[in-house]
Amino acid sequence: MPKIIVDGKEIECRDKIPVLQAVLEAGGDVPHYCYHPGLSIVASCRLCLMEMKMPNPKTKAMEWTPRLFPSCQTPVKDGLEVRFESDKVKDNQTHCMEYFLLNHPLDCPVCDQAGECYLQDYSLKFGESTSRMVEPKNKNPKKDIGSKTLLYADRCVMCSRCVRFCNEVAGTGELAIINRGSRAEIDVFPGVPLENKLQGNVVDICPVGCLLDKDFLMQQRVWFLKSADSVCAGCSAGCTITVDANEGKVWRLKPRYNPGVNDWWMCDEGRFGFKYVHDPRRLNRLTVRRGAELDYPDWSALPEIVTLRLESVVKKDGAGSVAVVLSPFMACEEAWMLASMVRCIAPQAALVCGPAPMVGEDEAFPKGGNGHPAKFMIRAEKCPNKRGIEMIIAGLGGPTLSFTDFLKQAGEKKIAAAWIVGGSPTEWVGDDLKKALGHIALVIAQDIFPSAVTDAATVIVPSCSWAERSGCFVNVDGKIQPFEAGINPIEGCQRDGNYLYAVFGGEGLYSAEKVRALMAKQMPAFGQLHVPPPVPEHAH
Amino acid sequence: MGGIQVGNLCHNVGSAARTMMDTMDAIRNILADQFWFSIVLGLVVFGGIQGAVAYAILLERKISAWTQDRYGPNRVGPYGILQPIADGLKFFLKEDIIPANVDKALFIFAPWMIFVVALVGFAVIPWGGSFKWGWMEATAKPMVVQVASVDIGLLYIVAVSSLSVYGVVLGGWASNNKYSFYGAIRAAAQMLSYEVPMGMCLMAAILMTGSLRLEEMVDWQARHGWAVMYHPIAALVLFITALAEANRMPFDLAESEQELIGGYHTEYSALKLALFFLAEYSHMITSSAMMICIFFGGYLVPGWEWLNTTPTFGAALVRVAVFAFKIFLFICLYMLIRWTIPRFRFDQLMRLAWKGLVPMTMTLVAAQGLVLYMGWSQWTTTAVNIGVFLFGGFVSVAGGKAVTGRQLSLRRAEAMG
Amino acid sequence: MTAKPDWKQTDIIHVDQPELSMTERMYLPQIFGGMKTTLRHMFKKKLRDETVVQYPEQKRQLRKEIYRGVHRLNRDDQGRVACVACFMCETACPAHCIHIEGAESPWPDREKYPIKFDIDELRCIYCGMCEEACPVDAIELTPEYHLVGGSREEMIFDKEKLLNIFDRTKDEKPRKNPNITGY
Repeated sequence: MPKIIVDGKEIECRDKIPVLQAVLEAGGDVPHYCYHPGLSIVASCRLCLMEMKMPNPKTKAMEWTPRLFPSCQTPVKDGLEVRFESDKVKDNQTHCMEYFLLNHPLDCPVCDQAGECYLQDYSLKFGESTSRMVEPKNKNPKKDIGSKTLLYADRCVMCSRCVRFCNEVAGTGELAIINRGSRAEIDVFPGVPLENKLQGNVVDICPVGCLLDKDFLMQQRVWFLKSADSVCAGCSAGCTITVDANEGKVWRLKPRYNPGVNDWWMCDEGRFGFKYVHDPRRLNRLTVRRGAELDYPDWSALPEIVTLRLESVVKKDGAGSVAVVLSPFMACEEAWMLASMVRCIAPQAALVCGPAPMVGEDEAFPKGGNGHPAKFMIRAEKCPNKRGIEMIIAGLGGPTLSFTDFLKQAGEKKIAAAWIVGGSPTEWVGDDLKKALGHIALVIAQDIFPSAVTDAATVIVPSCSWAERSGCFVNVDGKIQPFEAGINPIEGCQRDGNYLYAVFGGEGLYSAEKVRALMAKQMPAFGQLHVPPPVPEHAH
Repeated sequence: MGGIQVGNLCHNVGSAARTMMDTMDAIRNILADQFWFSIVLGLVVFGGIQGAVAYAILLERKISAWTQDRYGPNRVGPYGILQPIADGLKFFLKEDIIPANVDKALFIFAPWMIFVVALVGFAVIPWGGSFKWGWMEATAKPMVVQVASVDIGLLYIVAVSSLSVYGVVLGGWASNNKYSFYGAIRAAAQMLSYEVPMGMCLMAAILMTGSLRLEEMVDWQARHGWAVMYHPIAALVLFITALAEANRMPFDLAESEQELIGGYHTEYSALKLALFFLAEYSHMITSSAMMICIFFGGYLVPGWEWLNTTPTFGAALVRVAVFAFKIFLFICLYMLIRWTIPRFRFDQLMRLAWKGLVPMTMTLVAAQGLVLYMGWSQWTTTAVNIGVFLFGGFVSVAGGKAVTGRQLSLRRAEAMG
Repeated sequence: MTAKPDWKQTDIIHVDQPELSMTERMYLPQIFGGMKTTLRHMFKKKLRDETVVQYPEQKRQLRKEIYRGVHRLNRDDQGRVACVACFMCETACPAHCIHIEGAESPWPDREKYPIKFDIDELRCIYCGMCEEACPVDAIELTPEYHLVGGSREEMIFDKEKLLNIFDRTKDEKPRKNPNITGY
């Protein structure tokens, strides 16, 4: 661990990182636009310049060099002494800020970036309060560069982060800088719009309001949003994200830095795949079918309803005739509580891991990586927690069935009762399951959308989307990652954890931590969570 | 044929006249009988008090407006004189809310209790002395303008008016609301405390006049002059305690709006709330009537000897009018005080009663007893009264502490240890 | 850990309550003094004739430029809503009574405009922060204060209603900065 001296203070830092990164990690704030830890370093914005001590070529004594060095391009070295608190550095910062703001329109009130804009932050912290620019400002056009992205060219600060992202991470290289000097602009090539599966990230890394998300455009001001640390449920990669919500509605998802899993990125499929949370077709009433009639009991009656019904089945057909189909969309805590509870009533109940939807193949980025390790993966397995369910089933032991075996046994009328959990945003019930359902006497369906399973079910338990729940998912690499609820459940629904906890017979109120502690006694693996390190302000 | 008809007609007219005469006689007999007269008078007083209370509320609103440079209610009728009717209608038509978790029986009972208690006190007030109807013989017993002439009139008033605290406490308790309950507790403590000096004042008056009958007290004053001359401080203290008993400013801690929302009647609405108000104003009228009887010469007017001695119905009416006018003046005084003096703090209230009023009035009772025993002139008590007041003032100055419990500054408190 | 106080003992100024005089201590004379004041006001008809405004018949003289009554949404010189849906008023509003939904504007010279602009006039505390916050002077408080409605829903003023208030009051109180057109 090298030690460097910044403004007279010694800080310890990781090896082989730029000074800028070291200062940011130590809690300092150095203005920068072009530097992004996930991209190559171009040192083009000149905002992070610093003074450095170097040997005077004549006297060989260590002295502050007359010129400034970009701190993003200078790697740390043990004993290196730099300073940011000098007039020279500060002058550079103010002057750079003035240049950045020369042609920047003052339309913060209608700019979606306002509130999380680096230009605003740095202007407040390092800039001047007035502009000396008296000429009319350059006005560049608003450009529609892709299906999900808009480009407001006049807000651009030419940091080239988006260009580098498309080249280095997405590997598609649609964006480029055209023209030079004050006429330089970001643009796409004629006839080649920005259409890669990671294009949402260029909006995230744009430090100003130049690249904006069409989906979120003009919807909300960012300071109204409340962020919850979550994990994307779109595929088994387990990208950590924040769910940004206001007044019970999810407005957008943003990636959360998580080294080794998704780094700084997330795919568009996950980013824009939350719309089903607010789908009006969602199940929102606890329903019990009595013959042809539907009954809507109160949630507090649920434990009694399911216990009595399962017990009567166990009495009639034996404990082995009960099966629980755990969905890979469930959180580990929920799956564990459900399985444990059913095992209490029917100790020989079979645990089944539900079908995991597979779409295409795993996709690695950058495209055409020439054998280099992938920087980002989109998984073909479109469910967040298959590994977790498998861990729970293995951890609990006892009779287990694969999904195909379950279908076969149901077809042979060996299953009298099944608690089937869905939760997939897409249609997931195959023909074989539809056929098998006819042979199961008692189906308890827990799902978010009406399906063939809920049609055949005696008890329909409306489930919540992942944005309304909390718990943990185990991603494809076996990393156990916790996630929090971003919003309250939609009207009529309850958090799956809450009612399963009541059914399970837990004391007090449900919290994922409490259940996880119980699980860890059975399965020590759940005592170790993968939580990404906290990210300093203005870190990327 | 026509003659028969006319004759029948005459006969009919004659019998109608006879029937009328019979009816008149019956009415006269009823009015000449003290029992029935008292019942009639009771009804008249009841109705009169209700009207008076309604207009007392209007008067209060007017006076409060005038003292604050406003006009007060002036939209319903000329100068707002029909406002009480509008208010009454409003109270009747409003939704009567009974909150969910109240003690329902007590909640409904409390306002009626306080209302009835406030009204029964009027029974022993001598409104206008005694008189004889024109048609009565000279030897007949004169009629007494009083619903009930009982030997323990004054005790009756004291007993009944102290019952009114039950209404307040029950209302506060039944409301199941902490503010109501606070109000009720305060009211209870306050009323109990102020009954002590009130009783002392009354005792002095009873010793002086030698009777518990209010009408005899008035008669005594007819012979000796108004009792307030002999006991000015007792009269003042009685007035103060009457304010406290009626929960009027500056003693309205039971319903102090700034602290307790509405005190014991926070949860009440519509007719039940109206009953609380009626009771408060009725109480004011009773206590004024009592004070007037005891200290301010009842229906007497100094210099108008004929008023007391003339036994005609007309003179009785004038006496009632004089009495009513005195009550009106007292009510005005009550209201004026409400808009003049700010509310006491609770400790000040208690201090005033137990450390100020009780010792003073005890001295007065002792002095009055001594005067009676030694056979000194009644004017001695006047001197004692003035002496007590000045001594109280001297003590408060010399003791460095005002009777009302003014807080010392920190430095002085430290210096005094 | 005890933080060192940043004040000295000598900084404390003891303020004594003024000593009571003899008459004040005896209480009664002061009460008569107070009643004199009360009575004086009671019998001075002139005072109330001067101060009271008999509301529905008479009306107060308002300073129209500063009075904070019901809101209006200003129109620009082309009759379009001047609001740019920047949500600044919604952000500044301490009563949370403003609800805006923004959208891309149909006009070439403007970026954003409100497709919905609701003010809950019952929730509003008429503090005028929205007017302060507005960067284009689109929302203003008018001198209209006689605000009545039959239901709560009726008192949630939408964009049309607020624009109508502008049409109604623009002669009485012209727009402060008619030159600001938006972004």
